This record gives sequence, C-alpha cells and structure tokens, in this order.
Amino acid sequence: MELKRREKDLTVWQKLYIPEIVKGLALTLRTMFKPKVTMEYPEIKFQPPSSYRGRPVLVQEENGVERCVACGLCSRVCPALAIEVQAAETELEKERYPKKFEINMIRCIFCGFCEEVCPEEAIVMSKDYELVFTNREDAIYGKDKLLVPVEKLKDRLEFLRKFK
Amino acid sequence: MNITEIIVVSLIKIVLVIVMILVAVIFLVYFERRISAWIQYRIGPNRVGWKGILQTTADVMKLLLKEDIVPSASNKTLHTLAPIIALFVAFSTYAVIPFGPDVTIFGYQVKLMVADVNIGVLYVLALTSLGVYGITFAGYSSGSKYSLLGGIRSSAQMISYEVSMGFSVAGVLLLSESLNPQKIVLAQSGWMWNAILQPIGFITFVVSAFAETNRLPFDLPEAEPELVGGYHTEYSSMKFAGFFLAEYANMIIASAMITTLYLGGWQIPYIDKLGLGVTLTTLLQVGAFFLKVIFLLFFFIWVRWSIPRFRYDQLMSLGWKVMFPLSIINIIWVACLIMIFNL
Amino acid sequence: MPKITVDGKEFEFKQGQTIIEAARENGISIPHFCWHPKLSVSGNCRVCLVEVEKMPKLVIACSTYAADGMVVHTQSEKTLTARNAVMEFLLINHPLDCPICDEAGECKLQDYAYKHGKGESRFEEIKMRKEKRVSLGPRIIFDAERCISCSRCIRFSDEIAKQKQLTFVNRGDRVTITTFEEEGFDNPYTLNTIDICPVGALTSKDFRFKSRVWEMSSTKSVCIGCARGCNTEIWVRNNQILRLTPRRNEAVNSYWMCDHGRLDTFKFVNAEDRVDGSFIRREGKLEKADWETALKEAAKRIKEFKNSEIAVIGSAFATLEDNYLLTKIAKSIGTANIDFVRHVIPGDQDDILIKEDKTPNSLGAELAGVKPGKNGLNISGILDGIKAGKIKALLVMDDDITTFAPDTEEILTKLDLLIVLAVNFNKTAVMADILFPAASFAEKHGTFVNFSGRVQRIRPAVATTGLDRALDGMTMSRWDKFGSQFDRWMQGHKYDSKPSWKILAQLGIQLGIKIKYQMAEEVFDDLAASADAFKGLDYDVIGDLGAEIKIKVKEPTLA
Repeated sequence: MELKRREKDLTVWQKLYIPEIVKGLALTLRTMFKPKVTMEYPEIKFQPPSSYRGRPVLVQEENGVERCVACGLCSRVCPALAIEVQAAETELEKERYPKKFEINMIRCIFCGFCEEVCPEEAIVMSKDYELVFTNREDAIYGKDKLLVPVEKLKDRLEFLRKFK
Repeated sequence: MNITEIIVVSLIKIVLVIVMILVAVIFLVYFERRISAWIQYRIGPNRVGWKGILQTTADVMKLLLKEDIVPSASNKTLHTLAPIIALFVAFSTYAVIPFGPDVTIFGYQVKLMVADVNIGVLYVLALTSLGVYGITFAGYSSGSKYSLLGGIRSSAQMISYEVSMGFSVAGVLLLSESLNPQKIVLAQSGWMWNAILQPIGFITFVVSAFAETNRLPFDLPEAEPELVGGYHTEYSSMKFAGFFLAEYANMIIASAMITTLYLGGWQIPYIDKLGLGVTLTTLLQVGAFFLKVIFLLFFFIWVRWSIPRFRYDQLMSLGWKVMFPLSIINIIWVACLIMIFNL
Repeated sequence: MPKITVDGKEFEFKQGQTIIEAARENGISIPHFCWHPKLSVSGNCRVCLVEVEKMPKLVIACSTYAADGMVVHTQSEKTLTARNAVMEFLLINHPLDCPICDEAGECKLQDYAYKHGKGESRFEEIKMRKEKRVSLGPRIIFDAERCISCSRCIRFSDEIAKQKQLTFVNRGDRVTITTFEEEGFDNPYTLNTIDICPVGALTSKDFRFKSRVWEMSSTKSVCIGCARGCNTEIWVRNNQILRLTPRRNEAVNSYWMCDHGRLDTFKFVNAEDRVDGSFIRREGKLEKADWETALKEAAKRIKEFKNSEIAVIGSAFATLEDNYLLTKIAKSIGTANIDFVRHVIPGDQDDILIKEDKTPNSLGAELAGVKPGKNGLNISGILDGIKAGKIKALLVMDDDITTFAPDTEEILTKLDLLIVLAVNFNKTAVMADILFPAASFAEKHGTFVNFSGRVQRIRPAVATTGLDRALDGMTMSRWDKFGSQFDRWMQGHKYDSKPSWKILAQLGIQLGIKIKYQMAEEVFDDLAASADAFKGLDYDVIGDLGAEIKIKVKEPTLA
C-alpha cells in the first residue's frame, strides 16, 4: 500500500519551528491590546437579539387580558412536561381563559416548542435570562410572573411573524 | 564579620528572599491570569481588590479552608512528603542566584545573594534534578493511574532535558571559566552576554528551562485533557497549593538562571561610563536584574498561552534528536570562539 | 352467502347490510359523520362517498346496500378527490376554534381533516357567523358555528331517547339546531348527544373546560346509578374524576348511559366530606385514630356483646367481595341478623336504561349471602330490635341506612356500639362510634351483579394511599407516567381509605378469624368456589364486558 503523503508538508523554514513560534507569539501579543469581548455582567447586561429564547412568558394585551385561551397545546407539546394549564370559562368573546397557568422553570428546557405550537401567539420566548430561585416552589412560575405586556414583546412577535 | 553577624545577615537574606518569592508568586499567578485573559480577548480577574489584585490571596484563603483529602489508596507518608520536596527544592535553589553586585551596608560588605558558592551552577543543576522527586513521589503515592502516568512522564522529561540543559551550561562555563554565578555574571560585562555570543546555547537552555519547569508547551505531566491534572490529580487544599507555589517559584528560578547565565545577570552594559554614584549604580543594577527576570516571566506566560502542548513522542524526539545535538554544536561553537578570539 | 369486494379484499356479507356496515365488519373503515351504527341512516354528510364499479357516480356507503359481486373502492383517486372536496365544504363555515373546543382530541372532523384534508383553505370569504354558547337544555351548551348538521343528535332524541325535542331550522348555510318552542332539551339521555356529536357543537356544561381529553387517564368501570350497571369509562386527572362516559356493551347499555348516571355518581369521590382515615368516638367526638388502634378497638368492643345482640348490615353499593367478606364476619361472630337496605324509587324507570332499583349490586348482595340467616332478623327486624334494646351493636358497611325509614336516625342513637365503614360523612357515619374510611367504587377492584344477573368488574381509577398507579397496574395518563412528587399536577390528594373487604378482613384477623386475602380477585375466587351462581367465573372470564351468572335470575326481591 502506498503511503499517503500529508497534503500540506512543511517547508524547511517552517520545520525550523522558531520563526513559526515567533509568528504565533506576535499574534498573541497583538491580541493582548485589542478590545475585549467580556461583558462585566451585573453592571453591563447582555441584550439578546430577537431570536433569543429566554424564559417563556404569556402575552398580555393592552386591556390587561392574556391572549391565552388555555388550549393546552403548549402543555401537550412540552417535552419536559413543564407546563400545567387549567382552563375556565370567561364572559369574554374568547370563551376560555387559563385559570391557572404554571411553568415549572426547573423542568423547562427553553426549547421554544410551546411558542411554536401556540395557535394564539400567546406564549412567547422572552429575552429574560435571569432566573434565580432557591427552592422548588419558587421555581414554579404562575400567571403573576408569566404575564408580560405586549409592548415589551414587540421584538419577538415581529421576529415570529417573519420567520415562524 | 564574626560568625554571629554572618548568621544574622544570612537569616535576613533568607527571609527576604523567601518573602520576595512568595509575594512574587502571588503576583505572578495574578498576572498569568490577566495576561492569559488579554490574549483570549477577555478581561480576567478584576473583582477582588484593586483591579483584582487580591484574587490570588483570596484563592489561597480558599485553599487553606478546604478539606485536605488523602486518598485511601495512597502512600500517606510520600503523599505528604511530595509537595514538601517540591517546595524545598524551589526555595533552596534561590540561595545562589546573585541579584546585584556586592554592596556595603552599615559598613558591612554584603553580597546580594544568600550563599556565594563557588560551584553555584552545579548546585542549581543538582537541586533541579531533585525537584523531579517531588513530582514522581506525588504521582506514585497517589494510588491513581493518572497521577502515576503524570509522575512517570515528568521524570522521563526531566532526565531528557537535563542533558541538553547541562550541555548548554557547559558553553557558558567555557567562556566564564567559573562555576560561581557571580563570576559568570561578571564575565558578561559590556555586551558580552552569553545570549549574544552563543545564541544556540541560549535557545536550547531556554527550551530546556521550559521543560524543566513543566510549563507549556512541555506541561505533559499535568496534561489536563488526558491525565486530569497529572501528578496532582489527587491533591487538594494546601498540598495542592504547595505544588502550585513550587511551579511558579520554579518559573522565577528559571528566569533568574537564564538572566544570570545568558543575559548578563544584574549588569547594565557600560553603566560605569555614565559616572553615576555607587549607590545609584547598584540600585539600577538590582533593578535591571529584576526587570530582566520580569520580562522572562512574562515570556513564560506569553509562550504558555500561544503554543499548544507537544505530544509525548514529539517531546522526546525534540529532546534527544534536536536539543541534545544542538547543545553539543553550541559547545563546539564556543570552543571555536575561544580559539579564534582568544576570549 | 353473497360476496362483495372492497379495496381488492373479497368477503361475505349478510343480505341487507349497507356497504359501510359490511366494510366495517371486515376491518375497513370508511369515513363517516352522520352515520351511526345505532341510528337510522340520514346520508347528509356525504363524506362516506365511495366508488362502485359499473355505477356512473360515486355513492354514499352508508345508505347503499351491498350487493353480490359489487366491487367497491374506498381509496381510489376518484374517491379521495371527492372526500377532499367534501371535507373542504364542511370546513368552509367551521370555525378554527379547536384551541377552545372541548371536543379537540376526540373530534371526528379534526381527525378527518388531518387525514383527508388539504391542510389549507381556499375559502377567502367571510365565514357564516351563528350563535355560540347557546344553552340547549339544563346540561348542554350548543355552539351553532361548529355544527356540521349531521343530525345525529336529532335522530338520537327521536329514536333512542324517544323524545322529539330537537330539530333543524332555516336552510342552506343558515341551518341550525334548536328545541321546539318553550321546550328544553331535557330528556334523561341528553348527554349521549355530546358523545355522538362528531364535532364540538354540543358540549357538557358539567365538563366544560375542565380538562383536555388527552390529559386524563381512562379506566373501565361500571356505573353505580342503578341496577342496569351501564359500562363506563372513568376519566381521571391529578387523581380527580372529571367525567364519566359510556362504554359500549351490547348486552347492557349499547353506546349509551343516562344523564343521572353520568353526572351524579362520581362527585362524592372527590367531595369535601370524604372520610379520610379512621376515627374513634371519644367523649362524644369523633377523633382521628390510626388503623391499628381503630381495628383493635372495634374487635375489642364487638367481643363485649353476645352474638344475638349484634347485627350486621351490608350494602347494595358495595361489591360482591365486600358483601361476601361481611357474611364471613357475621358468621364468625355468630349472628344471623344480616341484611341490607334497598334503595328503590318505585316507578322511576323506563324501558331504555333506567331501573327502579338505584343500587348497582342488590342482586349481588343477596347472592353473596347478605340476607337474614335462620331465625335472623331482616333490616326492619334489626331496627325494631334496636328499638327494643335487643340489638346493642351494629356494623354498617358502605351505606347510609338512615334513608330506610324516617325514624331510623333516632333508633340508631339507642345503640351501644355502631361501627361504620363509609366513603363520606353521611348521616349514619357521623353517628358512628368507630368509623372506617371505605374506598369508593372508583378506588377498588371488585364486581357488581346487575338486575339481569350479569357480573361486571370495576377497577380502581383513583389512587388511595394504599394504591400506586404504576405498581398496582392502574391506567395512567402521560402526566401520571412522567410526573414526579415535586410536580403540582401529581399532588392530587390521596385518601387514606381501603376497600371494605380489606377493612373487614383486617377486622376479622383482630377477631381471630383466619383470613388471608391479598387481592379482591382471591375473595371472588373463594366466593365462586362456594356459591353456585358464580361457579366457573373469575376476573379473566368476566373481563371487560362481564359474564352472566350461572343460575336463573328471578327479578330481585324488592322488599
């Protein structure tokens, strides 16, 4: 069997190593004086792009009512079984609203399936990535934490219209 | 000076040197982290103290508070002994490094080195060879295959590179005709630095020094991806800190040795021609020594974050097939110099 | 026998069958909305159009009789095109409100739209708007927009419920369903229309928006509303019963059940007044006690009385197993005073499903041996005995005996010892000296015998503290399967109750009787070995649809 030669053999100059090492050192020396990419977190916060999948939230219309009709599709599609919905009847035209809507943020894997499956554009992935809790109970987000006014979610809703 | 005075002066010098090394290590670790961050477009530690300067202190405090875990499969005595050996070697090597010319303080003629040994270079070589015991013991006593592999690699590496290191030093000794570090420094007056006279020897010595201190690109004993940390895998708390300290102290020694042997030690070329006072000249010279060491330390860090690790076979073939012949060529080169220029 | 070929498969059929019936019997399902096996053919949905060779046009499979040598194609291009077109027409005015529709998940229109629909609509005009949320009788809400005018509900009330209460009004796309003037849709069988409605036009007021159907588990059971013993499914989520639906059994209830059975027979299971744990009366008040204490106390107190001073009352609400164990206890105590209370509402029956006897197991209780022994007292005799001070201790299982006569409650106060096994804190239970929590019909294995002598099984659908869904082979929803103790949807309350036979068995052990049953099945096997009526029967033979008992049944003695 013929031995395969390396596609890119080193020249004599390269085989000397030293010049190549000097080149490498020069490169690292240059980078030392270039601007840094680190964001100093608590002072400077990352502003995610609209494609970012932060914690899922419920869209609250201007009149203060959630868009959600408690169809339970998010709950059904959720691969981690993080969402629990309890529907109830409302006098509003939509007939049905979520009496209870809970997302267990310990279970949530931020896959965005709930958003994708939602027929009402009622649950969307926000830009919120700061999720801190110290016990299991706090990790279950109810409607009080989930409802977010629609103005704050314009970015994401526009993104969804364009790309979903 | 009577015997008491000699003891007192020596003690002061010992304490000074040890404190100096400890403080230097603390800053060295800090700068290593900062520089590595800069090279990687990061900022690095900047929270503890001014610009993060106390980060290392905080880490040391953390290590002090941690539980000292000794694996049940380990050889307890050797396990404890290993970091002590490593530390002892690192500190005691410092005894023969001159960081300035002789000075007169309070009427005493004081040499700016702990011990003026006339076979100082041999002493250093001997002690660094001892250093391998610390690592080998650590690897052997841990009772872990990763540690053992790390220890074995380390001993093989040290033995290999000590050969070329020794031959490189031979070139220096030929020129200075002395084993006394101070005399070697003095022999490099003016621009007669060994780095300039024998560049091949300089390069082989620097490379060997990297290998001896287990720094990248020669940090195979640690090799995190394959050995999970190598010989100190099973160490925690202050014992781990001991190895950490030894590694950085070794770096300082290596830098000081390179400075002494090749970069004219504390000398500043032609400073006597400027006609400055004795005190100022001495201070400048001591400063020059430290500056040179600091630059070399920076070089150590800089190289670490620029060059990837060698493979083990590459390391061995480089040691025996490249470094060893080169250091012999260097001896011939130096011999030729002496013959031609009657140095 | 004549033969027909459907989709290349040739098979025999009975003369008089339609294509859809013949195909169905041979495992070929033809889509259908308006056709129902138990209703007359109306042929108005047109979705069952099939191609029959040598016929010029497509025909509807539901009203075309199968004929010898007929070759039918249900998957030919022509058929599929027509089916697509029908689906498109049906969907023109059907609102896209599956998210809020209770039928979603068990909706025929949804299923067929997935299977045969195009996936998008060419209809660009405005959909027909009709009334939504119309209250159609006391138990049903009607959504006119969703209705596809299949007329199943109309035909059901005409033909099965025998009450002509519904009709179509208007024409074309304005057609809608309504009741006659000033009349409600209120016959006793209305809720069957929500089962047969192929879309979500008719929904139950009771179940409305309670749960999505895929979130529940369903367990095969039997209705306890009357002696008919309609086969049912119990739908449970988070350990709570949310609805009952009828389960097809041609020998008992076909596809149907009455509204009373569907709505009123399960709510006590998760009611506030459930007995949760055992109780002992101390200083006039019922105090919670652990099982062992209560059992020991009960045994100790029973032993204080003479045989003839003790009476035992079984229940037609309890299973065969429970009643059988009760007879064993009575026998070992040595009392012949054993009977049970009949709950009969004379005249409250029809010739569809509803029976006068409002208990599911009165025949079973008798067959298990709950009737006065030699020289024993029957129920009125027992009560008279208490009144006269001859009976001093009474054990009541799974029933509220105060319904027997107006003065029963007062009579019971004369007792020295009243031990009650009860599901809820009913009038008898609150008077108990020792009260044991009995599992309801939805929390245990067991068997009932209906009025005609059919033995039918019930299975646990709701877990008690002693039951584990996975380990005890109960049906599980997806949530049950993948939930953990930390999920709120898994934390539905489990009552600390046990099947009555189990309580009695443990009481028996305390009384010194050798009883070692682990499962209800063993109790039944024991009963089958001792009673002629159940000879050769076991749980496997009874299966899902039940089995007839082995002796001839005369109408149960309705005292």
